[in-house]
Amino acid sequence: MSPTRLNLALSLTVVGLFAASLMIGPAALGPAASLEGLFSGGGEAAAIIMREVRLPRAALAGLVGFGLGLAGAALQGFLRNPLAEPGIIGVSACASLGAVAVFYSGLAGASMLALPAGAMIGALAAVVALLAIAAGNTTTLTLILAGIALSSLAGALTSLALNLSPNPFASYEIIFWLLGSIKDRSMLHVWISLPPMLVGWALILASARALDALSFGEEAAQSLGIDIGRARIMLVAGVALAVGAGVAVTGAIGFVGLVVPHLLRPLTDRMPSRLLLPSGLGGAALLIAADIAARTVVPAKELNVGVLTALIGAPFFLWLVTRSRRGLA
Amino acid sequence: MNGRPADAHAGPNGLRRACLPGGRRLAKIAAALLAAAVVCATARAEGDKPRVMSLNVCADQLVLALAEPERIVSLSVLADDPDFSFLHEKAELFPKNAGVAEEVFIARPDVVVTGTYSLHNTTQLLRHLGMRVEEFGYTQTLETIPGDIRRMGAILDEVARAETMAAAFERELSAMALPADAPRPTVVIFGQNGVATGAGTLADSVLSAAGLRNLAAERGFSGMAPYPLELLITDRPDVVLLSGRIEGAPALADQVTRHPAIAASGAAVATGIVPRGSWSCGGPFTLEAVRALRALRDDLLAGRGASG
Repeated sequence: MSPTRLNLALSLTVVGLFAASLMIGPAALGPAASLEGLFSGGGEAAAIIMREVRLPRAALAGLVGFGLGLAGAALQGFLRNPLAEPGIIGVSACASLGAVAVFYSGLAGASMLALPAGAMIGALAAVVALLAIAAGNTTTLTLILAGIALSSLAGALTSLALNLSPNPFASYEIIFWLLGSIKDRSMLHVWISLPPMLVGWALILASARALDALSFGEEAAQSLGIDIGRARIMLVAGVALAVGAGVAVTGAIGFVGLVVPHLLRPLTDRMPSRLLLPSGLGGAALLIAADIAARTVVPAKELNVGVLTALIGAPFFLWLVTRSRRGLA
Repeated sequence: MNGRPADAHAGPNGLRRACLPGGRRLAKIAAALLAAAVVCATARAEGDKPRVMSLNVCADQLVLALAEPERIVSLSVLADDPDFSFLHEKAELFPKNAGVAEEVFIARPDVVVTGTYSLHNTTQLLRHLGMRVEEFGYTQTLETIPGDIRRMGAILDEVARAETMAAAFERELSAMALPADAPRPTVVIFGQNGVATGAGTLADSVLSAAGLRNLAAERGFSGMAPYPLELLITDRPDVVLLSGRIEGAPALADQVTRHPAIAASGAAVATGIVPRGSWSCGGPFTLEAVRALRALRDDLLAGRGASG
């Protein structure tokens, strides 16, 4: 499939799912009432539900999914590791820890503006730590195991911090930070996470050429005139911004960045750069679809969207591990 | 085991010694303990009012309201928490217990009062050991409060005081009754994580007595139930009652209660209307919650009249 046609097909899927997401909710609004509410405005209940409740939800699912898909494709290309993904290698868990440390300590008051900053610092620390581990030319397995250790540590510290909070509701929020949810978000969540996400995406997309060159190895890339140090900084910052800003408002949602690049790679010419945009769009489509399922699978009881992505992603991860067993040794 | 040597309780009074079992004694067979407990329970002098120990914050309130201070052995730890305990200032004067059977056994009260909802195993164990345990129902409404006051009065041997209090409660409550056709603004209690308080609760009966319609109960929700944000917007109650935040300890649970869609819907939003702790347990003070909400209702109706 040509890159243009692939991107077009994925974009149409995202638009379709986005529209479907806007139509679903406990307030039974018909398609006509929904459309009218979305575009006509005013103080009507339908308009408020569409603009203040459903629009931010669908938008965040798309934006966070795009960032996770893009970051997954970039990490797999850059680390030349088919199992790399923000959730598996611990970037998401560390972003959660950063957000939790800033928010629940009460240092920032109850302000949500501090959340993305904390999450991005956490994500950045994780990516830098992993690159330091990966710098010693380690095997695929070492990196994944290091990521799992990082994930467990960050998860444990997140749980500890929430258990120590004097607020009795905090300990119930462990599941949000570890398994993510897009329930009852507002446009404020969109506005605080969008700017860092856009910068992160731009940094990742701008390093596309370096990713291609790196697929031939670092020496070959240098001989092609690629500044590896600069490419590394751009990718690290890009992943930290895209993943951190998302985790700050939806919690850690796993496996999107693993599954999507693998599903789409056969449809591309297998150059890492050609996979970036499709993976972003595919991530957006997958997360919007998963969020629709989270609201509809069990009637009148909403699931955490991260539970659904893990239900799809974890078996996929196992399958990848067994398939590439020889390569991991 | 309390770890104190049995000798520490040695004294001229053999009965006293048996009543304060040390580590070794506790380890002995249950029959010995049971016998000791029975002896202790009957050891109270004629005419003395029973010494009471409360293991439940709602029982604490009735004990504080009715018992003579020197007859209170201890109260539950939550008695100090102003969010649950209206009488928390008075409660500060008394020792606290964590509701562990061992504490009860050492303190030897004449009667233990607790809730049916809490500490079920403790209740079983204490009864097995021969203690007198009185349980109070978890589901309270305004209608059950006078009965609970009278029952606690009978347990504490304060029948006259309880009767006065219960009768005053009934009188004041009926004095506040509204005619059937009185206007009743709608309300939703929208707590942390968007959990509303529905039918069958103390809060629901308080809203009703105050002259408000609880939309969560009318939607068929009972007890504590999540009220979807979208339904809150479409139902648009006249007022949304939010719970206060905990200072210095933020939680995401407070985010949905401050969602901009609630303000956009035009519903009035109110926080801290009801005096703290006045409707988390039923007691004579629950009338304060009714009065505060009645004032809110009157304000809403006046505002509605003014705006046409």
